[in-house]
Amino acid sequence: MSSDVSDVLLRVEGLHKHYGPLHVLRGIDLTVDRGTVVVLIGPSGSGKSTFLRCLNRLEEPSSGHIYIDGVDITALRKRLPLMRRNIGMVFQHFNLFPHMTALGNVAEGPRTVLHMSRAEAEARAHDLLAKVGLAEKASARPAELSGGQQQRVAIARALAMQPEMMLFDEVTSALDPELVAGVLAVMRKLAEEGMTMIVVTHEMEFARQVGDRVVMFEHGAVIEHGRPNEVLRHPQHASTQRFLHSLLKEMEV
Amino acid sequence: MAYQWDWSALFDNLPTLLSAIGTTVLAAVFSMIGSLILGLPVALVRLSRPQVSWAAYLYIELFRNLPLLVLVFWVFTVLPLITGLALNPFTCGVLALTLNLAAFVAEIYRAGITSIGSGQTHAALALGMTRPQLYRRIILPQAIVRVVPALGNLWVGLFKDTSILSVIGVGELMYEGRMVATDTYRPLEVFTGVAVIYYILAYPQALGVNWMFERFRVRE
Repeated sequence: MSSDVSDVLLRVEGLHKHYGPLHVLRGIDLTVDRGTVVVLIGPSGSGKSTFLRCLNRLEEPSSGHIYIDGVDITALRKRLPLMRRNIGMVFQHFNLFPHMTALGNVAEGPRTVLHMSRAEAEARAHDLLAKVGLAEKASARPAELSGGQQQRVAIARALAMQPEMMLFDEVTSALDPELVAGVLAVMRKLAEEGMTMIVVTHEMEFARQVGDRVVMFEHGAVIEHGRPNEVLRHPQHASTQRFLHSLLKEMEV
Repeated sequence: MAYQWDWSALFDNLPTLLSAIGTTVLAAVFSMIGSLILGLPVALVRLSRPQVSWAAYLYIELFRNLPLLVLVFWVFTVLPLITGLALNPFTCGVLALTLNLAAFVAEIYRAGITSIGSGQTHAALALGMTRPQLYRRIILPQAIVRVVPALGNLWVGLFKDTSILSVIGVGELMYEGRMVATDTYRPLEVFTGVAVIYYILAYPQALGVNWMFERFRVRE
């Protein structure tokens, strides 16, 4: 790993999150270098998704610091939307805007947030729909698309803001099994192009092939992290071993 | 001895009654537009932080629980006194209906807005939208479609409630009916005629609302 400071895109220090009496994040530290793919794994309820949503402040951290390009974003108020432009996010349940076409969804960020002209925004949206393999679905409404297609539109929508970093929150968990591959292929291509990505997923094959680093969460803390082959093939922590075993069993069923 | 019906009292004065329909429609239209506009800020304040939302709560509960008749009289008698404005009965009537209706419209808007899932908010904010952009582009366009049928119901009720304005001398259908009934000493025939006119006007609107419930049914 490079020690060059300018390579660090994201640095998280001592992040805590409380929901009333629940302590869901217990002091997370994480550094993500530009152009790398970090995969967050762990049982459901371990805090991965909450952590991810803290990174663009969809969740408010209770304490700790998040630096993006060296700027502490935990203190932002007025400039919060400005910061979010720079971080794309894709959700488990797609969250496409149902009153717009696929093209409208992708063009919405550039038009409303970046104040691009309609023609310019739609040109960019067309390019991105083509990139995710849905050029011919530009005028379809989300309800007319399969889950996998909707998720690829959602990825294009996030990319339309030309973000520096992409967050993926269990983006294939709600998909029928036969639709997962298409979404993962788009993500793989994105990683190859050098996009910085933080991916919460249960797709261990993806984590192994695409991830630069794997981070294991349990009970709101990082209990193990390292290169995919180390963590996934030779897990040191008993909890990681149990977790990976349980995933394997699920696949065999 | 049985009552001798004399429908000529009604038919001779039918032009007077029919010409009053215009005022009924105008009162309903103005009140509806007024409340659709006023209801939005009330709903948005109601949905905002507790430090301010109580004001909207107060408004809604006050005007929902005040009998419309009392409100109409109050606006007609007290408001000119404290504002010093010379308001004609029609304006007072529309104002009272608007104040009352906006409370219901605000609640309908609020239900529509809260029915839009938080996923939409998350997606919009993650793109970098501000709160106003989120509402203008994502929440309101979806919420309005969902509340159209409920607003239609409100309209049908409003159309009939305009008859209350007759008590402050607004020359709408009910007022003219009362005038004709008094002039002719034939209230049974005249009010029967007024009832039929209201029904003929209102029934197609109710059918229209039923159609809207079909058309705008939310598919999720």
